[in-house]
Amino acid sequence: MNIQTPIKNTPAELALIDAFGERLALLPGDGEVMLKRDAAIEAIKAGLPTRRIESWHYTDLRRLLTKVPAFDAGLEAKPVAPLIEGSPVLTVLNGVAGKPVAIEGVTATPVAEKLGDGTYAPALGAQGADDAIGALNSAFVADGWLLEIADGTVLEKPVEVQNVQAGGQVHTRFAAKIGNGVTATIVERQTGSGDALVSSVDNVVIGDGSEVTWLIVQEQPDTATHFGQFNAWIGKDAKFTLFVMNAGGKLVRQEIRVVTKGEGSDFQLRGVDLLHGDTHTDVTMVLDHAVPNTGSREIIRNVVTGKARGVFQGRINVHQVAQKTDAKMACNTLLLSDDGEFSTKPELEIFADDVACGHGATVTEIDHAHLFYLMARGIDEKTARGLLVKAFVAEVIEELEDEALVEALEARLDGWFAEHG
Amino acid sequence: MPAVQETIDQVRQIDVDQYKYGFETEIAVDKAPKGLSEDIIRFISAKKNEPDWMLEWRLDAYRRWLTMEEPTWARVEYPKIDFQDIFYYAAPKNQSGPKSLDEVDPELLRTYEKLGIPLKEQEILAGVKKAAPAESVDDEDADAANDNVYKSGRVAVDAVFDSVSVVTTFKKELAKAGVIFCSISEAIREHPELVKKYLGSVVPVSDNFYATLNSAVFTDGSFVFVPKGVRCPMELSTYFRINEKGTGQFERTLIIAEEGAYVSYLEGCTAPQRDENQLHAAVVELIALDDAEIKYSTVQNWYPGDAEGKGGVYNFVTKRGDCRGDRSTISWTQVETGSAITWKYPSCILRGDDSQGNFYSIAVSNGYQQIDSGTKMLHLGKNTKSRIISKGIAAGFSQNTYRGQVSAHRKATNARNFTNCDSLLIGDNCGAHTVPYMEAKNSTAQFEHEATTSKISEDQKFYVMQRGIPEEEAIALIVNGFVKDVIQELPMEFAVEAQKLIGISLEGSVG
Repeated sequence: MNIQTPIKNTPAELALIDAFGERLALLPGDGEVMLKRDAAIEAIKAGLPTRRIESWHYTDLRRLLTKVPAFDAGLEAKPVAPLIEGSPVLTVLNGVAGKPVAIEGVTATPVAEKLGDGTYAPALGAQGADDAIGALNSAFVADGWLLEIADGTVLEKPVEVQNVQAGGQVHTRFAAKIGNGVTATIVERQTGSGDALVSSVDNVVIGDGSEVTWLIVQEQPDTATHFGQFNAWIGKDAKFTLFVMNAGGKLVRQEIRVVTKGEGSDFQLRGVDLLHGDTHTDVTMVLDHAVPNTGSREIIRNVVTGKARGVFQGRINVHQVAQKTDAKMACNTLLLSDDGEFSTKPELEIFADDVACGHGATVTEIDHAHLFYLMARGIDEKTARGLLVKAFVAEVIEELEDEALVEALEARLDGWFAEHG
Repeated sequence: MPAVQETIDQVRQIDVDQYKYGFETEIAVDKAPKGLSEDIIRFISAKKNEPDWMLEWRLDAYRRWLTMEEPTWARVEYPKIDFQDIFYYAAPKNQSGPKSLDEVDPELLRTYEKLGIPLKEQEILAGVKKAAPAESVDDEDADAANDNVYKSGRVAVDAVFDSVSVVTTFKKELAKAGVIFCSISEAIREHPELVKKYLGSVVPVSDNFYATLNSAVFTDGSFVFVPKGVRCPMELSTYFRINEKGTGQFERTLIIAEEGAYVSYLEGCTAPQRDENQLHAAVVELIALDDAEIKYSTVQNWYPGDAEGKGGVYNFVTKRGDCRGDRSTISWTQVETGSAITWKYPSCILRGDDSQGNFYSIAVSNGYQQIDSGTKMLHLGKNTKSRIISKGIAAGFSQNTYRGQVSAHRKATNARNFTNCDSLLIGDNCGAHTVPYMEAKNSTAQFEHEATTSKISEDQKFYVMQRGIPEEEAIALIVNGFVKDVIQELPMEFAVEAQKLIGISLEGSVG
């Protein structure tokens, strides 16, 4: 972005700037929080990122973000059934946190409270000039949940956080401070109806020796704009698995920024992107191996149908001190329609020499030999294709060890295939 | 564990200080005043006796260049270049145009001798065939030798010194086959219809900052035209050398292979050791019509700067091939060992149906060198194929980046790409980076990309050593194997030289 020449703001940028003016008085927090909000809106005024900004190369936000809905407090959103029956559920309905639920070992506080007393100020602000999601969210964030999980807690059931909208603008945060030696699974649902514009930022700190699985299930309607950002810092010997499923949204960008902070830590990313209709979905990951002896595996599977455009950008930075890093990334895409598009940019940035890093990426259609194999056994083409596509995606889901989760996610998968497959 | 001490020591030997081409030739030169303006462009154009349309073309490029900004996206860092502090034209005096080598300044010939350039063409592949000396080739006596030309391993050379093509050998012999091989200035005068038709048709005038600058001020380069159905009887080669202090070298190469033609072209580069940075901004355009094949090989050994990263050549090059015809093939092979900064992406536009693009690269960086290189394969036609093999070796304090793009257009049904880029790191002060872009807009496209970064694996080393091979030889063997895929793609005549060069740079020093 060129700071010297003021730019002519697009209608979407102007709508955001105006909304900030109108909304300001209602936003929680003052003092430091307010300063952070002001700084963030300045970044929006300087212009949303274009394809000339490298990290937004395939998602020209200035061009793609055309409609910005107004805030609408009158809308009513209803919670959805939890992914796993009986899970404790913490809701944010149309941008407002619901009632806290008692969960042993977990303290849940609405983010509005933390913004109000100013304690949340340090977490606000954009991380760098290209962090449009961080800026947008910092300017407008009004609520969400902060989970504090005590040392040694073992959660029997996943904790589910739900962000449900019926339209308008919603800007939320889900933060988690996870102590040492914790075993936990968190399910994050992003869903709703209408033409909402959602920004949702997660900040997750994982303590030493913990084993944590976090699932983001994004099933926005095809009219919604969804900007997600997931930040995580992994402690010593901790094992963190992030599972991201995108199965909706008109314009979606999900950023994942992970830092292995403690030696011996391990990061696993499993991604499933089911793209349909005339939509645009961008998953961008930046992983920093910042200390020696850490490992990571990322597997992303994409299915593109209709006129959908998909993007996966994955960058692995191996710092100079991060010797013995073992990082592997794979991005596989099935392009099923002639009008679909998929672009991928897997990057390696390596400054340490004793490492084993690699990435692989493929884009292809269904293997005709596989199809023939099934059809030769009397299975009709449509069913055979369905089986192969499902197998392609299910492979990633099945890696989650929890059977109940696998079943629940496969049900979401079947739902998508029934509608769009 | 860092790389073994031997490897480090041996890599240190290739240290940029040991650049063996760092001599300077004292010869009289004819220079344009420093700086860049429309007058300088008129001066260059007049010096070259160019027709008016060429001058207009240059001026148009210059005006567009003035509106452009230097690109900053590459992973290279350097102080801002003062484009007014460069000589845009420097030519060895004695500009009457030498008819034969006898007329060439002997000082210049000695330079080429030092470089090992086979201007006299006799000693290439010693023992295979004693070729006729160049002088006689340019005589009518050449007829007798002509029959053998097709079988021999001879190489025709166009030598470019600072801004000017000094001599082109084997011209007559090539002309008999219908092949035009001359300097681009000569082509502008002698074959304006071809130049007009093809110049700027692959790399448009305002393609990028440096290509536009080149379009305005290019001084010389090679021109190759291989007519329909002709298989060019010998390897063509150009040697570039920047000699004069403070000069930029802006050469322009244009190669056209008509229907069913074949040509293999080699390019080598050196520059003397200097404290200040020299600028090299070339443009290379290749055009392959139906069933034609062009092989373009580069051994780039510009001065990389000294051990502290002082001096060295800035190599900002635009190279692009257009597979315009059906079933055409363009292959780029490059061995990049020199230059302080390399910014270079030899690309293929796969326009014709069933056309094929290949990119084979070895990029070795040491000292404070920065390399940001790769390729673009743009699949536009049906059933197009591309293959990318890139091997990067980073040592010292260098940064070595592979940046590549593969895209399939909506109509490029059955586009097929395979990309493999491997990086080897020696020492922990260097960096290796991989930035591939894959863009598929067609469901029948099949793209595969794989990249790895590692040091020499202990397992591999153990395996080789266990068979009684000493450690340093084991490492040499592994490094050799690491780059073998690419070395194999070089024409035989050049593979010898490239191996010698990598010998200086890495491989030989490890052994």
